[in-house]
Amino acid sequence: MAITPHDPVGQSPHGPETASEKPRRVRGHAARRRWIKTLTPWLFISPFIIIFSVFTAFPLVFSGYLSFQEWNPVAGLSSMEFVGWDNYALALDDPWMWKSLYNTAWLAIVSGIPQHLIAIPVAYLLVTAVRSGVRQFYTATFFVPFITSTVAISLIFYTIYSGNSGILNQWLVAISKWPVFSSFLGWVEEAMPIRWLNSSDLIKPSIAFVVIWKYTGFNIVIYSAGFLTVSKDLYDAAKVDGCNAWQQFWNIALPMIRPFAFFAVTLTIIGNLQMFEEPFVLTSGNSGGVGQSGLTASYYLYLVGWEWLEMGAAAAISWVLFLFIAIVTAVHFYFNGKKGLGGDR
Amino acid sequence: MTTLDTQEPELRVTIPRKRTRSFPRLGKFATHAFMIVGLLVTIFPFAWVALMATHSRTEIYSSPPPFWIGDNLTENYIKLLEVMPFWTVLFNSLWVAVAGTVGAVLFCSMCAYGFFAYDFKGKNVIFGIMIASMMVPPVLGLIPFFLTVQFLGLLDTHLAIWLPGIANAFGIFLIRQYMMQSISRDLLDAAKVDGASEFRIFWSVVLPLIKPALATLAIVMFIGLWNNFLTPLIVLSSPDKYVLTLALRSVQSLANSPWGAIMLGTFLSMLPLLIAFLFFSRQMMAGLTAGAVKG
Amino acid sequence: MKHIFTAGVLASALTTVMAAVPAYAQEIRVDGFPPFDTHFDKQVPIFNETSPDITVTYQMNSHGDHHKLLTTNLATQSGAGDVVIVDVSFIGAFINEGGFVNLSEAPYGAEEFKDGFVPYAWSQGQGADGNQYGMPIDIGPGVMYYRRDVLDSVGGDIDAIISDWEAYIDYGRQLKEQGVYLIADAGDVARILVRTTLEDGEGLFFDAEGNSLVTSDRFVNAFTLAKQIRDEGLDAQIGAWTGEWYDGFKNGTVATQLSGAWLLGHMQNWMAPDTAGLWGASNLPGGIFGSWGGSFLAIPAQSENPEAAWEFIKYLTTEQGPQIDSLRDLGAFPVLTSTYGDPAFDEPIDFLAGQQARQLFAEVAQRVPAVTPMDGDLIAEDVVMNGALAEVLNDGKDIMEALQDAERLLLRRVR
Repeated sequence: MAITPHDPVGQSPHGPETASEKPRRVRGHAARRRWIKTLTPWLFISPFIIIFSVFTAFPLVFSGYLSFQEWNPVAGLSSMEFVGWDNYALALDDPWMWKSLYNTAWLAIVSGIPQHLIAIPVAYLLVTAVRSGVRQFYTATFFVPFITSTVAISLIFYTIYSGNSGILNQWLVAISKWPVFSSFLGWVEEAMPIRWLNSSDLIKPSIAFVVIWKYTGFNIVIYSAGFLTVSKDLYDAAKVDGCNAWQQFWNIALPMIRPFAFFAVTLTIIGNLQMFEEPFVLTSGNSGGVGQSGLTASYYLYLVGWEWLEMGAAAAISWVLFLFIAIVTAVHFYFNGKKGLGGDR
Repeated sequence: MTTLDTQEPELRVTIPRKRTRSFPRLGKFATHAFMIVGLLVTIFPFAWVALMATHSRTEIYSSPPPFWIGDNLTENYIKLLEVMPFWTVLFNSLWVAVAGTVGAVLFCSMCAYGFFAYDFKGKNVIFGIMIASMMVPPVLGLIPFFLTVQFLGLLDTHLAIWLPGIANAFGIFLIRQYMMQSISRDLLDAAKVDGASEFRIFWSVVLPLIKPALATLAIVMFIGLWNNFLTPLIVLSSPDKYVLTLALRSVQSLANSPWGAIMLGTFLSMLPLLIAFLFFSRQMMAGLTAGAVKG
Repeated sequence: MKHIFTAGVLASALTTVMAAVPAYAQEIRVDGFPPFDTHFDKQVPIFNETSPDITVTYQMNSHGDHHKLLTTNLATQSGAGDVVIVDVSFIGAFINEGGFVNLSEAPYGAEEFKDGFVPYAWSQGQGADGNQYGMPIDIGPGVMYYRRDVLDSVGGDIDAIISDWEAYIDYGRQLKEQGVYLIADAGDVARILVRTTLEDGEGLFFDAEGNSLVTSDRFVNAFTLAKQIRDEGLDAQIGAWTGEWYDGFKNGTVATQLSGAWLLGHMQNWMAPDTAGLWGASNLPGGIFGSWGGSFLAIPAQSENPEAAWEFIKYLTTEQGPQIDSLRDLGAFPVLTSTYGDPAFDEPIDFLAGQQARQLFAEVAQRVPAVTPMDGDLIAEDVVMNGALAEVLNDGKDIMEALQDAERLLLRRVR
């Protein structure tokens, strides 16, 4: 395909030209240019379109179709049975489904907001106040939880959270014996052993902590990339105008990283509402822990599809969850999208 | 490209002077204190895994757990090589992660540029579909994904693991956002006036300016591919094609796992990630001198 | 010319090679989970002594991953091994769906081996149509392991303690005064009671007509007993396979553990090797006979070499050699009653203070009641035995209320 703007045909026509031919050639040239112009963006986004149609579109259609079938996967593809909207009716009428949506929302908020409240100032400090060699070291360390494998995470947090001999409980007891803290931590010894992963009230906060711990470093990296785009000149100019450090952060840096904040928040919303691995591991895959307090929607649809072998019902749940995520994301785009996506340019 | 030669000096930002000047000494101390606390909290698991790699299974599961280096490192290493061809699977993981990362950096930035630089019919619809595709829970995709891979004849190949990720919504979205922030439309227009081809503008003008974003994407992709487990599980069947995650998990059972060896394998498998991170984050930070255009 | 010549040489070479290999040379792959790889490492060479023409390879994944992969392979009807290992918890859900070869039919004829197997394990591998789809390879007869030193410290007698559940709980009360827990998790009591106190023909959660039994006396009694143990503070509230669990074994802070026979191997090899001689094994309290775990071998219908696969299955499950090896090497208990006369069963076990415990295991194995697997057992297991039980024990929810809630959910999901 000769789709470069430097197509020589139009510029240097060879051979004699009659008067009638010339305008047509010019028109042809213009048409070609228009065509090129329309095609160029499509060429740029073609990798996405190809990969999407090959690897993503079919699974989507499949699970859409599946949500209207009753299907035990073990019986093979041919055993699907059309049940209409039954799976959806079942999902909406299912107490565990609602419980899991509530848990998902709770965990998304409690584990989502702190990630950003920590990551933004830390990234700012790393970029502006720390020498670059040291910054590398810090950023790498903060990133470590993100690269830690799930196996290690489950092993470590079991050791931390376990009731009788867990590190957390041992520290709590030790701290509560210090004179300074004993006045308001006196209840700690009474309450021991605190079963962080075995009581319905504590499962969610315990999971939320692990999620915050794991993903804050990732957000620090995103925000660091953002703060690095802010020109030093801007700070200098602000300093000349008499801005203090806080004002520089609040009035100069923060507005500049809006697209990054928008990106990071969008990812957190989508990622947190699909939260699966952490609650799954921390409840040992035990149907969401005590009272299903750790059962998230993704976890539940995994349970229904892969453990109970009701793939159709699971597909319906996954579309209900999709709808939920889409609504939340849409609200986020509605309020923040204009500036975040750069629509005001 | 003469235009670029004349323009580049203008793009450069004056190299920052001492960056710490605006922070008083106390603030600096507080900053470091704060960082060090965060550091201790985050480094803990890594150190822990390293520590456990030197212990036997019985020691790992004793309580209180051992807080000092054990003497089982050699045994664990021998056991590790016994239960899996460790260096082969490490190399497989490396290949999958590198191929997928290079592909993703190239194609995601291409697509992002398409969304960033042009207005065309259907742009918002496709962008919307792209964002929406991130919202579909991935748990149920396994069976249709298997069917797709089988249809394409890619079962038991590494290609099936990294290919689907090379033009992913996350990467395109990330890079588009970065372009939004750091590339001015004037620059593109200037390059166009100069007669640069569309691809040339993307390749020679835009890509160098978004290095930090490319590095960020590379980090995330590399880690994602390295830790990817479900795709290899259903795609790969020959043990000599296994990747690290799969090999490490395949020797685990509730009761009989050689945990010391697994911890050693886990620790060794985290090292390339740390190296990759340090490498890319250097690129990311290097963006400070090359980029920072739009103000 | 040269090419033709080369081709000719190649062709004749090929014929020679092919003539050397028997026409029925076959390759089969076994899909499973550890530690079966250790078992196969040893058994495949022995198998090949009698069947040299069958090449066996195996693909191992962790227990959960293996079953997920198997589900995908059965769903898409491709990619599964020629032999697959199926855990007892999945067997009920898997065998009735047509994904496996019917082993009762010719040319397999599994029925001829029926009498050699432990009855309850055989019937677990049976489909609703009465045909055999899964061949049992190992079982986990249920026993109670107990600390002898702890027992002696209160001057107890093991036969008296297991005579009924009240005596068992009394023992727990005595232990509590010494700061020792009766059991790690009270839930274990409910789980085994529900499994063992049923009537013939009943399923675990549903009767023959598919009606729910979840709110029946069997469940209420089992839950009540577990709750009593929890409320009196007799259990340590420790989940299995955690560091705390192993500690309980090591330190003697937990006096008894209800489990499959296979736990012995783990305790003596790595969980608590230093406590050798301090342990004993007995029947379960209250005169019940139950089992923990067990595995089956099956041939996916998609296999291209089902007959070679059957040869390997037959070798592993119906011959005494590999069955006894798996007892010695893995601690996996044999399914063949004929092996129970083997000298291995008379060996005193040092870890259990010289007790001839394998005889006890064998006796238990033959008395475990057969439970009919039903559709919906997997869901019920999660909803009732994980969900409702945890709410009752940990959150103090009323037993009947928890069971009724679970039943409502169950009836909604099971169609």
